[in-house]
Amino acid sequence: MNPKFILQFSYYYGIKVITRGPSYIIASLVTPLTLLFVVYILTAGKLVEFAIVGGMISLIASIGLQSAGDASFFRLQLRIQELYVASDVTPIDYMLAMTLSFLAFSIPGIVVYSLLGAYYGLYSLQTSAFMAFLIVMLIISTSAIAFIISGLIKHIRNIWGITSILSIIMTIIPPTFYPYVDLQGRLGTDGLIYLLSLSPATPAAISAQMVFGLMPWDNSMFGTMMAFLIGETIIYFAIAKFLTRWREV
Amino acid sequence: MIFTIEIKSIEKVYSGGKIAVNKISAEMNERVTTLIGRNGAGKTTLLRMLSTQLLPTSGTAVVEGYDIIKDTKKVREMISSIPQEASPIGILTPYEQVKMYLVGRKFDRKDASSLAIEALETVGLGDAMNSPADTLSGGMKRKMFVALSIASGANMVFLDEPTTGLDPLSRFEVWSAIKKLKSNVLLTTHYMEEAENLSNEVYLMDSGKIMDHGTVKSLLQKFKDRIRIESQKQIPDSYSVAGMYIKYAPIEETERYIREGATVKRITLDDLFIMRGVDLES
Repeated sequence: MNPKFILQFSYYYGIKVITRGPSYIIASLVTPLTLLFVVYILTAGKLVEFAIVGGMISLIASIGLQSAGDASFFRLQLRIQELYVASDVTPIDYMLAMTLSFLAFSIPGIVVYSLLGAYYGLYSLQTSAFMAFLIVMLIISTSAIAFIISGLIKHIRNIWGITSILSIIMTIIPPTFYPYVDLQGRLGTDGLIYLLSLSPATPAAISAQMVFGLMPWDNSMFGTMMAFLIGETIIYFAIAKFLTRWREV
Repeated sequence: MIFTIEIKSIEKVYSGGKIAVNKISAEMNERVTTLIGRNGAGKTTLLRMLSTQLLPTSGTAVVEGYDIIKDTKKVREMISSIPQEASPIGILTPYEQVKMYLVGRKFDRKDASSLAIEALETVGLGDAMNSPADTLSGGMKRKMFVALSIASGANMVFLDEPTTGLDPLSRFEVWSAIKKLKSNVLLTTHYMEEAENLSNEVYLMDSGKIMDHGTVKSLLQKFKDRIRIESQKQIPDSYSVAGMYIKYAPIEETERYIREGATVKRITLDDLFIMRGVDLES
């Protein structure tokens, strides 16, 4: 692994671009903030804490998934990926560099949601540490999904539609903006929860609802969700490494 | 003898059965070697296999002493490859992109910084190195990639159609930058003038095969003391190529053909392809 490259790449493509292209950051914030507003109005403020915690999860997952656009653009249009293939950069260096860039790029959104969380008194040392853990796992797993998609598509035009659809299915439909118990009893006891857990945002949101004290603690559910999140992150990353097309066949 | 590139019966068959490269063998040892051929001749496929971006269907090659299949990592440490129609990341500056590439190649950050500046100045991008790449002209963008290869100090540089789509002045600028590379170079092009201007050795490719190779001078030997006559009207003993009558005549007859209203041109590598086309037609 080449940590210097990962840091250099993410500094240029994650931090420096924030000031050069702020519209993209605003665009990534619009959906979760709009949903936060809608949840606030529709529930007369009752579920606003769910929407603040879930909004952070939704934002990170959404940025991770939408990075498929950049990954595809770099591979198919700019041909930058080929440039790095024929050098001593490994696929893991490249994927981690891109992933860390997207995490750096999420900083303004993380600040907005952290301020909202602080205003509602949601953050303690314990909940902050847990949220930091979730952010890291989410950005790795969703960026890995993004690399899987970008490795599979052949025409750049398809990527914008695919990421928009996936972003909604994987970050808004999961229990990011509502209590997860509303999903119980559908498709068997927890069938729908397990189905939606294919998106890393689901185990992240469910475990966060418990850690932030928004839902009663459930040892079994928390353990299952942690297993889902960690397992998915490893599996998605391994598949992404295989499908990144580092050497085409 | 160790060759810069030794190609051993390499073949690429794409899914669907299209043979892009048909069991080519070659030994290349010149500083600048050019693969020249029409679109679809197999140049890019061959270059992508040699630069470890594409896996051959069969056969292999040795680049700078390392096998492209068995010693991929070693090969990648020795080479730099600029893909066809590569474009910089628009929001980043040339300096940032060259430095980032060098750090990726495990250069120390300080060295990467000074080498990036030096290489960008070498190719004439000193004044533009801190402007976002989006603001650069097509020629400047291509020069940025050449700077990247210069700075890398790679033993072998692969350039896939480095001037395609550029205006003549930008092409000259990119050629000038390529001439500053100290590495061995394998480039592809379909511009005959480019091959003549830059290469020590030229390989002519067609339908996935190498048709001929040699220095520009040796390849043009068969046209020695001849000129190309082109005319819309039929000329005795001429070939009809794409609606034009072409004849290769002794240089002494130049004046006569000009008087008759024909166009007289000096022989270039184009003529090898015209003759090949004629051979195919006949």
